[in-house]
Amino acid sequence: MKITKILFVSEFEELWLDALQSLMGLRKAGLNHVVFLHVIHRDKVAMRRGTGYLKQEERKLREIADIRFIDWAETLFEEGMEVGAHIAVGNTVPKVLSVAEDEGVDLIVTARRKRSKLEELYSGSETSELLRRTVRPVLIYNYISQSGKVGENPFERLLLGLDWSESSEKVLDFVLALKGTVKRVDLMHVLSEKAIGKLSKLEVQKVEREHKRRLDEVCDVLTKERIDARPHLYIGNTEEQIEKGASEHRVTMIVVGMKSKGIWKERWSGSVSYALAERSDLPILVIPAGV
Amino acid sequence: MAKKVLNVEDDIDTRTFVSAVIERNGYTPILAKDGEEGMKKIAEEKPDLIILDILMPKQSGIKMYHELKLDPSLKDIPVIMLSAVSKRTFLRSQEALTEFGDETVPEPQAYLEKPVEPEDLAEILKKVLG
Repeated sequence: MKITKILFVSEFEELWLDALQSLMGLRKAGLNHVVFLHVIHRDKVAMRRGTGYLKQEERKLREIADIRFIDWAETLFEEGMEVGAHIAVGNTVPKVLSVAEDEGVDLIVTARRKRSKLEELYSGSETSELLRRTVRPVLIYNYISQSGKVGENPFERLLLGLDWSESSEKVLDFVLALKGTVKRVDLMHVLSEKAIGKLSKLEVQKVEREHKRRLDEVCDVLTKERIDARPHLYIGNTEEQIEKGASEHRVTMIVVGMKSKGIWKERWSGSVSYALAERSDLPILVIPAGV
Repeated sequence: MAKKVLNVEDDIDTRTFVSAVIERNGYTPILAKDGEEGMKKIAEEKPDLIILDILMPKQSGIKMYHELKLDPSLKDIPVIMLSAVSKRTFLRSQEALTEFGDETVPEPQAYLEKPVEPEDLAEILKKVLG
């Protein structure tokens, strides 16, 4: 698993060149190609009574995007990077998926995307839809958070949420591929209160010891690759504890795997990766199980 | 037989415009919408000249130009760059690629910044192709 090519999706409202430049630490992990994508929402140029399809408006919006992309591309070209650009009209998620497929990117970088309350009730947010439909890692990059800008290199200190599933293995593989970029990893497993509630003290200690052993094993794998790694075992609601751990250990990014669930199960029962992607102030890297 | 000019350009309006200028001046236009397709067309059509944009999907004109000039069988095909990316950036990018271990490549036959007047393009076509 290597990251040589990323898709940088920008609506020019949230992610700008400075956000992209903060990802250039990935060059140490092999990044050499950035593909820009700007999607002009269909409703901005859709048919209106009396005026028809707003062709002139589309042309103007394309021109604006083109000018911005050329400026960004010039900066990257001069650094020896390969750059591509796509400007499309339509719905964001299908366009992101098709460009990611066409270009064969290794990582999709996008801001968190919302819809109207009503649309979200029926189809979820654009972020959830993208996570549900993609087979590629997605970085939900909240570059400007409430607490100010994210540091120079968001890949510097990672918190890995591990649940020992197949997707956790993928998370670990992905982080190992980032060798050279990542300085420290905080590994975290969260035990649910419900799972240990009916156990005796001795049984709880056994469970605790087993998870600590597994965390230590992963730490050893990372340490061998010269990545400073620390294990943490938390108890409680997974999503809340991950956010708490991220804050306590001052990480720059949360990395979680994503299990494939059915669309309705995912929407109504929720999942840690979706919830974090929707809520967290920190950048969230989500690795699908099938990657 | 008319000389063949390959135009590698992702923007359909510019492609149509450049193609019309090529045709009006007695040459045969061949079109490609990105660097990847451009390289395929070069192998198939063996053009006499290439007009190359820079910012395109899949493969940029910067990488394509570099590859062309490092390929002994293709390096003599003249290239006119036609882009909104500045010539300064183009030259710096070629230097940056050299820093990554590639050989130095010569400058293109001409560098035109968009938008280009049809007369200017026609004049350069004649100068390069005769």
